[in-house]
Amino acid sequence: MPTPTTVLVVDDSRVSRLMARQYILAAHPDWIVEEANTGEEALQRAEALAPALVILDVNMPGMGGVAAAEQLRVICPQARITLLTANVQSAIRNRAQELGIGFAEKPITEERIAKVLATLDA
Amino acid sequence: MFNLSELQHDALLEIFNIGVGHAASAMSDIVKEEVTMSVPSISFLNRAEAASMLGQDGARICGISQHFEGAFKTEALLMFPEEKSLEIVRLMVGEAMPMAELTEMEQEAMSEIGNIILNSCIGTLANIFGQQLSGSLPMYHVGSSEEILTASGSPADAIVLMLHIDFILEKHEIHGYVAFILDMSALHDLQDQVDRYLAKAMGG
Repeated sequence: MPTPTTVLVVDDSRVSRLMARQYILAAHPDWIVEEANTGEEALQRAEALAPALVILDVNMPGMGGVAAAEQLRVICPQARITLLTANVQSAIRNRAQELGIGFAEKPITEERIAKVLATLDA
Repeated sequence: MFNLSELQHDALLEIFNIGVGHAASAMSDIVKEEVTMSVPSISFLNRAEAASMLGQDGARICGISQHFEGAFKTEALLMFPEEKSLEIVRLMVGEAMPMAELTEMEQEAMSEIGNIILNSCIGTLANIFGQQLSGSLPMYHVGSSEEILTASGSPADAIVLMLHIDFILEKHEIHGYVAFILDMSALHDLQDQVDRYLAKAMGG
């Protein structure tokens, strides 16, 4: 039996994690959604979870999503990483491009989550 | 009181109009309904004037504040009447969530809504100015308009750049306000940004 796909959702907002989880599981009921509150927690757990996809908020207490993404690329190079953020500034978008990771705007909607998930099939 | 030239005022209004357009689209994604927003009007008020404009009927307000700095420094505030707050959260998370859980999540959900709307507005401004602004985490406050405006710790003589925006939802009439609190030096920084934008717009 193949190992189920794991998605790690990193966001300090519980309601955002809840919505992301709901839309991911609606599209893929057999996937596993793990949650982390902070970038630090994501880094601690990433190796063991071996997620196929990490969805990262940017503005969080502690290190923040961009710094976490930089380190996650080293810890789990197999994972796709996407920023999912209310910060719509070009500077953040450009930073994501430089890092070779995805960028999606909040608010979280079913369509936006579907787009992020579609990057896994690409 | 702080004054802008007619041209500066016009440019600032146009920039906010674009920002508010983005915020409206974000709000519409949150509540899953069409949201129309009135064209914003800008006024520069002192804190007492701003408080009395917001709290005409003495109603309690729920406010989400976020501090931004970079090209200019400001305390951004999104405010709704307190009694609308649960209604907005309900629209965001859907009908399925039990009332008890919804109430428990209200503060956090409103903070996230504030985060999205304020960043959408401020982020658009930063992009138009070609600058970067970094924001703190959102803070949630409930109280009278005066309490909300002082909660962020701004000095009594700070100027409030009040953007009056009506959010009109198809089925729910919700009036919201966005305000930016700036001190004198921040206002001058903002004015500089507007001047640079105008110079560029005129091919300078």
